[in-house]
Amino acid sequence: MKKKYLTTILIYAVLIVVTLATIYPIINVFTISIRPNNKLFSTTLEIIPEDWTFNQYIELFANRPFLLWTWNSFIISLVVTFTGVALASTTGYALSRYKFVGKKSILFGLLTTQIFPATMLLLPMYIMLIKLQLLNSYIGIIIVYSATALPFCIWQMKGYYDTIPYSLEESARIDGCNRWQAFYIIVLPLAAPALVITALFSFMTAWSEYIVAAQILQDTDLYTLPLGIKSFQSNMSTEWGLYAAASLVVSIPVVILFVILSRWLVSGLTLGSVKG
Amino acid sequence: MRNFKKYFILSIFLLLLQGCSKKSDDDLIIIWHNMRPEEKQVLQDQINEFMKLNPGFKVIELYKETEEMRSGFIIAAIGGQGPDLIYGPSDQIGPFEEMQIIIPLDSLFEQEYFEKFNSRALIRSNGKIWQLADKLGNHLTLVYNKKFIQTPPKTDKELIELGKQNTIDFDGDGKIDRYGLVWNYTEPYFFIPFLTGFGGWIFDENYRPTLNTLQMINALNFIKDLRDKYKIIPNEADYDIADMLFKEGKAAMIINGDWSWSSYGNAGIDYGIAPLPIIESTGLHCKPMVAPKGYSINANVKPEKIKKIKKLLEFLLSPEKQLETASKVKTFPSRKEAYDEEMFKSDEVLVNSQVQIQNGVGLPIVTEMRAIWDAMRPPYQAVLGGAILPENAAKEMQLLAERKIKEIREENEQSTFGFYFQFFLLALTVFLLFLIRKQIYAFIKNLKEDLFVYALTLPALIILLAVILYPFVYNVILSFSNMSLSKIRGWSIIGLHQYYKVFQEQQFYSVFIKTLIWTFINVFFHVTIGVALAILLNRDLPGKSIFRVLLILPWAIPQYITALTWRGMFNYEYGAINIILTKIFGLGPVEWLKSPTEAFAAAITTNIWLGFPFMMVIALGALQSIPQELYEAADIDGAKWRHKLFNITIPLIKPVMIPAIVLGVIWTFNNLNVIWLVSNAGEPSDSTHILVSYVYKAAFNFYRFGFAAAFSMIIFLILFAFNIFVMRKSKAEESVY
Repeated sequence: MKKKYLTTILIYAVLIVVTLATIYPIINVFTISIRPNNKLFSTTLEIIPEDWTFNQYIELFANRPFLLWTWNSFIISLVVTFTGVALASTTGYALSRYKFVGKKSILFGLLTTQIFPATMLLLPMYIMLIKLQLLNSYIGIIIVYSATALPFCIWQMKGYYDTIPYSLEESARIDGCNRWQAFYIIVLPLAAPALVITALFSFMTAWSEYIVAAQILQDTDLYTLPLGIKSFQSNMSTEWGLYAAASLVVSIPVVILFVILSRWLVSGLTLGSVKG
Repeated sequence: MRNFKKYFILSIFLLLLQGCSKKSDDDLIIIWHNMRPEEKQVLQDQINEFMKLNPGFKVIELYKETEEMRSGFIIAAIGGQGPDLIYGPSDQIGPFEEMQIIIPLDSLFEQEYFEKFNSRALIRSNGKIWQLADKLGNHLTLVYNKKFIQTPPKTDKELIELGKQNTIDFDGDGKIDRYGLVWNYTEPYFFIPFLTGFGGWIFDENYRPTLNTLQMINALNFIKDLRDKYKIIPNEADYDIADMLFKEGKAAMIINGDWSWSSYGNAGIDYGIAPLPIIESTGLHCKPMVAPKGYSINANVKPEKIKKIKKLLEFLLSPEKQLETASKVKTFPSRKEAYDEEMFKSDEVLVNSQVQIQNGVGLPIVTEMRAIWDAMRPPYQAVLGGAILPENAAKEMQLLAERKIKEIREENEQSTFGFYFQFFLLALTVFLLFLIRKQIYAFIKNLKEDLFVYALTLPALIILLAVILYPFVYNVILSFSNMSLSKIRGWSIIGLHQYYKVFQEQQFYSVFIKTLIWTFINVFFHVTIGVALAILLNRDLPGKSIFRVLLILPWAIPQYITALTWRGMFNYEYGAINIILTKIFGLGPVEWLKSPTEAFAAAITTNIWLGFPFMMVIALGALQSIPQELYEAADIDGAKWRHKLFNITIPLIKPVMIPAIVLGVIWTFNNLNVIWLVSNAGEPSDSTHILVSYVYKAAFNFYRFGFAAAFSMIIFLILFAFNIFVMRKSKAEESVY
């Protein structure tokens, strides 16, 4: 019994130390956001500066189009998430269940797409979007973001489908379902946890992406959050207070999404443990 | 699932409502600028006034950060698009003019109009005017806190005296509580005034670098003395630190530019401006660079629009508007009529600003300037870091500058060879297609038979191919070309020359090794910390969900600000890391950001912090799939935790972890952001680089697009080989593939 207590205390100690070390920089960001006069650094280590103020937060919502940016980002991220989930779930399924010409190349190709450094792709992507007249439009961005998130998501889905026994679809087919119904009605619901990871990943990709958005979106009305926040940053006159405040606010939806989804992460994956 | 469809359709609908492609408006004038927030506000107001006075005009201003504006404009203009007007410092004109993406303004206005401007505001090159400036600025001056200093110093000796008087440790704790002088002294732009003060300059009339001079050495020694002999400046001070110290009243003097003055007023400092001092030994003023800031016209602008642009420019550049701006944000106008105004005689700041401008040197606009900056920075920082002597630093700077200028102006080699090479490439492609013809036939046959399968996969594949394949092929072609500054549009295929250059690059091998070290250490810690935490959090611990949420935060918060926060934590004097090391562990403080190894370690630490949550989440998921019975059986057999860990946990989470680790390796290998941000783009001395950051600098700082493309291809091939290695190895682990 005593040993168990000791172990538990030790574990808590480790967790607390690591967590404190982890959130210290974030507390720092909070300090920057309540510190007036745009001071990125400070000579003191105090967490609440003497002249603290929430003005930057008020400024953020009242005088800057922060809500507009949030709305824009939200729409884009939502569509990317849906597209990602729809395309990854179907493609992953095909790669898991069927043998067909080009399967190996596709799998390998998916991995390969992750390799390209962004620098390689900027100029040609820009030219291509101009030719297709997709510049300064959400369609262009959504296509690019989906392409960015898809490879990882397809891979995840496929791996997860592999753990679901094929016998389920077989019995469904025997009962008279066609291939689509077997997939859509039987298998897909079982893959919910992987769908969750896919959704999360796609959302994060779209929500926090900067470089591509900066190149494509020219109209300030269309700005997404990363673009908007970057506009507080100037070569030598960055509005650090606003920047920090915005960064913290921007993370809140992501954290909420995590909390909601982590429920699925736990219970669902146990379903995959049908090992032999 | 039914709801899924509904929401999907709804969001598409909303989307179409929101942001359809905006057709280009012929009446719309777009201005890109890099103005700081206060200036931008004035511009916005002036534009609104203009639109009220001229119905039928629509003008939009868009802020972009200077470097991004430059590279963004280049990309946009080459693509045939971009803003109508671009507003920025004069030194961006050099490259723009060479790339032919701006048009001269001579045809817009009469000679008499130009004569109304301060001659420095007309940015000429090759006999034409490429930019019309409305402000002269960006000049560094001495800013002093009137609480501590009543009379600003006029000479360097006075500066040192006042500095010594004002460098005080009030409470005797060994830490300086007020510095006499602070400024961003590690950045060449902030060093130039002292170079000129000692009589040196960066190039001759033909724009050949003249960095290896006695004057340079004297100036370098002066800065070193300020820190080491007279001890009036901090050990480590970048822009933000110096700025903060002055704002907190912890510095008596700061050297900073006109963009910053009003922020000091806002911070409650009673500040004064004074021209930079005279160096007694030479009798020369310290002359900072003065940059005109103004408008240039995009070469893609249609002729019909020019008239409208002319009207807008006449309005914005008028003396009235310039005076308005000057009085609001203390900028210095370019119209001669404005100089008679009362405020230039009575406003202390404007008076001194004017003196400094007169005592300043114009910022050179030639493309070579960029090479000079990048050549000066590494040796300069090495001297300050004590790694080399000033004499050698001067030599280094000269050599580097000459080399970089040569690279920017890389000439077109053997074009006939390129011609044959093109044929070779074509033949190669045909040959490859021929080799896989069997697969192509099989594919077409299979398509007809198994439409369902392909219907499932094709949509995703088409998107992926379109977005990735075209840029990839483009990049491959570019890598065989000579696209660079002088050949932005007229580039041609020249063969493998660029690849050859990449391997000849001095730093290639060391940067490659660094990248390997970077990747290995990062991924190792990401995985071990992530998995360890996941195992701990997998137990039945009350409150574990709180830990989970908190430990996720590094992933959730935008990288930019957290990376910069970490950079602050590594500051020698004020950073949390050194404070913890000295106060809690009793070790000596480390000069993190000034030495190559330590700076690299700082970047790695930051990246570890940023990356472990991802692995933790994946591991948490993976752990769920291990049945409890296995652990219980092991307990019965008397297994210790070590056995359980290595024989049950690790093997069973492998299938899920391996894809994540492979991806982690690739993403870390290519992670540009963290290195760039923590080390401030490679400092000290361009030694904190991994392959991708190196490429980025080559492409966007030196316009060596062909070179960068070849470099990117090599990075690609390295990772490609890694991929193949992984695929082969995990053929055994069929459950993954």
